Amino acid sequence: MDCSQFEELFHDLDRPGTDGYAARESVLAHAEACSRCGQLLTHAESLDLALSALSARENGERAPAHLETLLREEFRHGRAAASHRRVRWQIAALATAAAMLVVLGLSLHHRNRANAGSGGGSHSSPAVASDNRVNAMDVNSSADDSVGSELAAAESQAGDSESATAFVPLPYADDSASADGGTIVRVELSRPQLASLGLPVTDMADTDRIAADIVLSEDGAPQAIRLISRSSLD
Amino acid sequence: MEMTQKNDLADDRLLRRMLAGDEDAFTDLYRRKHPAIYRFALHMSGNPALAEDVTQEVFMALVREPGRFDPTRGSLGAFLFGIARNHLKKRWEQERRLVPIASDSDESDDFAAFAASGNGNASIPASSFDDLDSLDTIGRVRRAISTLPENYREVVVLCELEEMSYEEAAAALSCPVGTVRSRLHRARTILLEKLREAHTARRASALGK
Repeated sequence: MDCSQFEELFHDLDRPGTDGYAARESVLAHAEACSRCGQLLTHAESLDLALSALSARENGERAPAHLETLLREEFRHGRAAASHRRVRWQIAALATAAAMLVVLGLSLHHRNRANAGSGGGSHSSPAVASDNRVNAMDVNSSADDSVGSELAAAESQAGDSESATAFVPLPYADDSASADGGTIVRVELSRPQLASLGLPVTDMADTDRIAADIVLSEDGAPQAIRLISRSSLD
Repeated sequence: MEMTQKNDLADDRLLRRMLAGDEDAFTDLYRRKHPAIYRFALHMSGNPALAEDVTQEVFMALVREPGRFDPTRGSLGAFLFGIARNHLKKRWEQERRLVPIASDSDESDDFAAFAASGNGNASIPASSFDDLDSLDTIGRVRRAISTLPENYREVVVLCELEEMSYEEAAAALSCPVGTVRSRLHRARTILLEKLREAHTARRASALGK
């Protein structure tokens, strides 16, 4: 070992896992043989002693006790804030989920209405309503009011699998007011029969038949009609 | 090394409990970790009030942002020392009233100037520092440490005063082990020189009397 190697290693003589510690015997042997390096080693040992004394003297240094109290308060505050944040997040998540369910429900509802409306189109007029309930008021009002407004407001339902137009006054009816107190008859009509009632239909074959409700006056004369579609929801 | 691993496991357990909201775990963790952080800040700054502030900031950061600690990147101790160093640097930048900080580029210049002044160790006289363990000398060693460039001072504090291994200090300082070793050797050489000068001056003064 030469002096330069000694200077590389002598700081680590007491530090396990280092090259200096591994070569400790050689380093000490060189220090005994070389007076200059021996003095270096003596000074280094003195420095180690001073540093150890300083370390031992200041090893008990601690931050003031109030700092622990302050930090514990901060920890409690942070924990409470985190808890509040968690609750707010949960509420926000629930609100979002509820809003999504509402939107989904509305969208499904509108979709069903749209499907019901378009499904009845093949056998009825474009103004066929999805609400298929039938009642006497419909009959009366449809007989009394104009055809256009009734078609737009048509809301009648013959059953779960049926859709119907609003009642339309027949062109050849004598007096719409005579429909008051009339009866409704469910019939199946062919194209010629519809034509005979003043409802010419072009998009059906002569042999096809379409269901319809006809309002008959007290004397049995047809006064109004509505077309029934059964196929859309089947 | 085995002790270090045990400490890391204990820290990890306490940290998990702390993250689950266990205040006692936080208190235990603080009591385990804060003395080294406080002493590091104290040795680095020489200012008890600043050391207290830095310690507070370190543990505030742990309370407020525990997710910043990534165990795959090092131990909790290294993470806390890293925060402490950053706060010290910020404070030094804000308050120029403390010990001047040497940048990395200053490191080689300081050492080169020191080496050129007398080739480091070669200039140390034959007399030994036989009173180095006295209270007076301990004070001189502390002052000598405080005048070291920052990069040297922190390795002395960690490796000599906190008795960390090179590996532990390297993790705390986020630098290679070889860098820690070379900085410590240079720091010790500078300390030897400073103490020799003080010793020579004291002897001269005694002879003059």
